[in-house]
Amino acid sequence: MDITNNGPVSFGGPAQFYPMNNSRQRWLLEQLPQWEREGLLTADAARTLHERHSSDTSQLGLAQVVIGSLGAMLIGAGLIAVIGYNWDDFSRPVRLLFAFLPLLLAQAFGFRVLQRGDSCAAWVRETAAVLQASSAGASIALVSQIYNLGGEWPDFLFWWFLLSLPLTWVLRSHAVAIFYLVTTAIWSVNQIVPGRPWQDSPLIYPVLLLGLLPYWPGWPRKEALSISLRWVMTISALIGLASAAVFANEQAVDYPRYHSEAFLWLWTLSAAAIALFPLNQAGIDEASRRKPQVVLGALWLLGYGVATTFRDVSNNILKGTSHALELPWCWGLLAVLAGFALHACTRRRWAVLAIASLALLPLIAVPVVGQGETGSSLLSWLATLHLSVIGLTLILLDFIGKRGASRLGTLLLSVLIIARMADSHFSLLAKGLAFIAVGVAFLAFNFFMSRHQHHAAQT
Amino acid sequence: MKTLTFIIFGLAALAQWLVPLAGIMQHELTLAKGTLIKLKCSAPDPYDPLRGRFLAVRPQQREISVPAGAKLQRGMLVYASLTTGTDGLASVTHLSIEPPQSGDFIRLKSSYVHNEKTQIHWPFSRFYINEKLAPEADHWFAENIRSTKGIIAEVRVLNGRAVLADLSFDGKSFREILKQRDNNPSGTAR
Repeated sequence: MDITNNGPVSFGGPAQFYPMNNSRQRWLLEQLPQWEREGLLTADAARTLHERHSSDTSQLGLAQVVIGSLGAMLIGAGLIAVIGYNWDDFSRPVRLLFAFLPLLLAQAFGFRVLQRGDSCAAWVRETAAVLQASSAGASIALVSQIYNLGGEWPDFLFWWFLLSLPLTWVLRSHAVAIFYLVTTAIWSVNQIVPGRPWQDSPLIYPVLLLGLLPYWPGWPRKEALSISLRWVMTISALIGLASAAVFANEQAVDYPRYHSEAFLWLWTLSAAAIALFPLNQAGIDEASRRKPQVVLGALWLLGYGVATTFRDVSNNILKGTSHALELPWCWGLLAVLAGFALHACTRRRWAVLAIASLALLPLIAVPVVGQGETGSSLLSWLATLHLSVIGLTLILLDFIGKRGASRLGTLLLSVLIIARMADSHFSLLAKGLAFIAVGVAFLAFNFFMSRHQHHAAQT
Repeated sequence: MKTLTFIIFGLAALAQWLVPLAGIMQHELTLAKGTLIKLKCSAPDPYDPLRGRFLAVRPQQREISVPAGAKLQRGMLVYASLTTGTDGLASVTHLSIEPPQSGDFIRLKSSYVHNEKTQIHWPFSRFYINEKLAPEADHWFAENIRSTKGIIAEVRVLNGRAVLADLSFDGKSFREILKQRDNNPSGTAR
């Protein structure tokens, strides 16, 4: 099921290219000679497929990244242990030599790898980048130790990931990119302290993420990004933007008068922006499992949508929305979301747009209910209606031959029914019977859909 | 494109040197040109498994009154003006959000404001010592920690930066005391 593209998928045309991971490409290339011998493919077709899916040896496998990074780290750890054994016997200049010599050697190694360019194996590039990033961090830490410089670990982390960032560009290191994404997220969470200047707060997380622009999904690149890097990037973006939302909220008013309800809506706006992140056509055509930003963003939005159908939660969200609308960060998020939504419209990403629009329901409810009013059921009913329409649409699309997601639609409707039963005043017996009915209907629908798809495939 | 790649690599390599070197330069500049101030403190003896043995330096002054009208928030950078008393010991006498125009001051982070007072988070907390001198330091602390004379932190201050230069007891440098004790295990040198 691909929720990012409701249109029919065409595999024709010479300009179309569908990214495939390395192992599948290798399997396909291995099969081509045999298919050609068996007459399944013409020689021309086999050659075209071979050219289109020729294995890119510069692409990194997970094993290469792990072994390259692990080797570099083991060398570094071993050196630290050997030097540390005699540390107290060394004078300050000798200690400084140990702080800077590994950095110099790592830089020379990195320079040599750059000189060799594409003739250098990917894992060597990876090792050079990890060694240089590690030695840069080690030199700062050692100098800090030698001179008792003091300071706090987030400041050390900040300089470390900033000095490592250029290595992701020039040495195309996935391991250092992952290190950068993880450390920027950790740093952002740690900086949620009201009173900090904005340039030393999680508000700069989007700028830090901008640093990895060549790695962004949808950005023109020669090779497809690895799945692991995409997941780390999405999780880092979710954590970083969530930290920025919390900071912006806490910064606006003094503790303890800030409004924790505002977080939820700001996080939801961030999730919507992440789900709608602009993609090029190749990115849109990829399977959903290769787009963690869509998967995680949509999961959060659907979870938020179901939670909003409960009256108490919807009242809290309304209260939070009123407070959040006073924050510049909120308006910035809304502006970005509007831009992404427009782009998604031009790309006809209707399914993601429908799910992302859940985030905007409070904007409809606030003017009707009024700011600060919490006694209304409007938002919970809006959310119920919206989710029901999404669920029904996903089912109907499948029946009219379009690309839908009937099982997800059924699941959504079932969850809604269960949620309404859970907060109703019916007896336990009635609720139990309703749950059984929903369960039976769900299984029956699953059975019906399996037969329907089987029949459609045969005809 | 290749030239740009080498330029970026060169700049990154340079920055990887500049960051630790700038730390050293600021440290040395503060030690060489900074004003010496003395703070009375207590100093128990913990251990940092990554960086070795250190003395946890805790100046006795823990809080300061917040000036009327100053909107301090936790974590905000503030400037603490230092004044030396007749006993030669310094203390924080005023907090401000902007750097003071004159006198010695330290840049530090403010804490929660409670009853118009805020806690002081001193920018130094550790005084590292040689591993080989550490056992002797343990003995020395056990003998002197409860003394009324107290342990004095000698701090160099320059443009808001503070560097812990030494500790002293009864007018003697801590390093000197430890060296004497190390050479004379009977413990006659205090």
